[in-house]
Amino acid sequence: MKISKLKKTLGAFSLEIEHLSLTPGKIYGIIGPNGSGKTTLMKLMAGLLPPDSGSIDWPGLTPRDITMVFKKPYLIHDTVLRNLTYPLTLRGLPPDPATVDHYLTLADLQKYRNAYAPGLSSGEQQKLSLIRAMIFSPKLTFIDETFSNLDMESAARFERLILDRQQKDPATYVICAHQLSHIHRLCDEVLFLSNGRIEAQGTTEDILLHPEHPLLQQYLQFVQMQ
Amino acid sequence: MKRNTFALFAVLALALMLLLSGCGGQPAATPTPAPPTPAPVETPAPDPTPEPAPQTGMITLATTTSTEDSGLLDFILPDFTAQTGWDIRVISVGTGAALQLGRDGEADVLLVHARTEEDRFVAEGYAERRHDVMYNDFVIVGPSDGPIAHNLDIEEAFAAILEQNLPFVSRGDNSGTHIRELQIWEHLGLTPEDNTRYIEVGQGMGATLGMTVELDAFTLSDRATWLAYPNVGNLIIVSEGSPLLLNPYGVMVVATTEHPIGAQAFIDWITSPSTQALIAEFGVEQFGQPLFFPEA
Amino acid sequence: MLDLLDAELLGIITLTLRMTLMSTTISAILGIPLGLWLDRADFTGKRLVVAINRTLMASPPVVVGLVVYLMLMRNGPFGFMGLLFTFEAMVLAQVLLITPIICGIVYTASARNSERIHLFAQTMGANRWQTKILLIRELSNELYFAIVTGFGRAMSEVGAIMIVGGNIRHHTRTMTTSISLLRNRGEIDQAIFLGILLMLIAFAVQLLISLIRRKERRTDENF
Repeated sequence: MKISKLKKTLGAFSLEIEHLSLTPGKIYGIIGPNGSGKTTLMKLMAGLLPPDSGSIDWPGLTPRDITMVFKKPYLIHDTVLRNLTYPLTLRGLPPDPATVDHYLTLADLQKYRNAYAPGLSSGEQQKLSLIRAMIFSPKLTFIDETFSNLDMESAARFERLILDRQQKDPATYVICAHQLSHIHRLCDEVLFLSNGRIEAQGTTEDILLHPEHPLLQQYLQFVQMQ
Repeated sequence: MKRNTFALFAVLALALMLLLSGCGGQPAATPTPAPPTPAPVETPAPDPTPEPAPQTGMITLATTTSTEDSGLLDFILPDFTAQTGWDIRVISVGTGAALQLGRDGEADVLLVHARTEEDRFVAEGYAERRHDVMYNDFVIVGPSDGPIAHNLDIEEAFAAILEQNLPFVSRGDNSGTHIRELQIWEHLGLTPEDNTRYIEVGQGMGATLGMTVELDAFTLSDRATWLAYPNVGNLIIVSEGSPLLLNPYGVMVVATTEHPIGAQAFIDWITSPSTQALIAEFGVEQFGQPLFFPEA
Repeated sequence: MLDLLDAELLGIITLTLRMTLMSTTISAILGIPLGLWLDRADFTGKRLVVAINRTLMASPPVVVGLVVYLMLMRNGPFGFMGLLFTFEAMVLAQVLLITPIICGIVYTASARNSERIHLFAQTMGANRWQTKILLIRELSNELYFAIVTGFGRAMSEVGAIMIVGGNIRHHTRTMTTSISLLRNRGEIDQAIFLGILLMLIAFAVQLLISLIRRKERRTDENF
């Protein structure tokens, strides 16, 4: 999976990625301060935003293999159950009751299965949008800040789920989060984004524990202080 | 649920009533500040009401659409204000509605044309008496290439319209013209509804003439509106001159008026020789004939 | 007062409902896709088109009536069709009046939500048609509001249909033109009676629609 000479300008902000390649089956983390372009980069990679120039090449993947979980999830004006099974409905797949129950239990939403989804609390909405993105097992998933807003227990459960699935059937994830603990537990590799540029890239160990780039050092200090 | 619905209905109806009665309940003529007495106008005022009115204000005249649509009022009313100092506002509606405005106390004077209705108005005590003002006449108009495209006697014309099932547009709005049309049918012993192409449009004379042009139909019009209507297309007069078609206008002071002086001033003015001369003069220049004939 | 509650009145009510339903249906069929398209379309002059739409939303019925009159009159461009003073002419005038209203409301609702809905549909792997269906389902409240607004306008409008319909008894006389006529005749009591009746009918129609909608939602929840 390759990105080259990617450029996108949004108002005063511009994102420029000279080169980036991702290996299928790995979990990537993106870190960086607010406004560094994390969400924009993810949307570009997910094909939700057209680049001004440059190319994004996902060999062997169709748009149906790619999904993204937004910071502010969109829930259709329907029940929790219908939201969860929506991607299956789109593909003409009948939902397997056991799988549905499994995911609802995982997200603590079993008792709300017939409730009106947009009426859930924001944490519940995020959990629903996460399981909805997982139920159809996409090959490439982008998760934008979703873990940061979950309680510790739920976040841990989702982390375990993703890691378990990686054992059986590896898929590619790109996760951005402010809480470095999630990144540390989940990711194989980390990109550090600052002001629309990738300033550092490497294994999670290297980036989080042995940072070399001065901006990265500064950022990590700042985040750890909080 | 059923109860709630009923309550909602009731509230809705009540709100509507309140709204309507609120509108209707306002005083007829809100006391308007007296307008500045007009500076002496070129007319030297050698008329029978020389003494200056002791008090001025605004009076409301309810009248038929024909006096307004023909332009008569625009022609003569400036003289009224100049002569008497009274301002006047005109509500032009059908005769039926004008009389109703009088009954409701919304108008001070009425200038209408439906003799039987006017007499009833006086008989019911809404006005002390009715004064002759002027008259003109009604005409039957129809397509110039139609089956009765020549001047027929009124009786023959109406009978032909009925028997040949010719399209006829009726005002249908209780106006003086409409009332007269119905009286003519009745007088001739005819039932217009027997004609399947007889339509009632419920609109003013101008709009009715417009529809008559479009439908290539016949209608009864007062001569003034007919002459003043700009776009008569293919229509010509197919019957005129019968005594049945005479159209007298009367004027009345509404008994409940809050401005008896102004209202009386209007009666005195409109029946005065100078105003009568003005009425006779109206339209001569533009149409080559007067639209109204003085009768006071 | 009650002498109006007869066959003629029933005819007037039926005609009013028939006209209103027909013009609202046609306007919805035209206005909803137009509003949705306008939101997604990108072309030069789009802002001008939106501004024109906004203006047409407030177009005076009398002016629309006059324009339709001029088009349909015997010497007008469509005079040969003989539509003036007919039911069809009234529906045409109302469609011209109401379509911009429905289109404008739909456009505004879509502009506010469609971007998020489209992005979401893409993340779920929806194809073109599935995305359109989702958009319509997600905007259904706003579409309903647009249709109801159009319906209300059509039901209460008098200026345009008076001109192009001619208020012909037994033919093009509707509830509003009757009220206007009764006022001209000085029969205020009957005018009020008809006015209240019109509002009650409008209310009953709204009640019916909301009942149907509630039923629909309930079946949704019984999944």
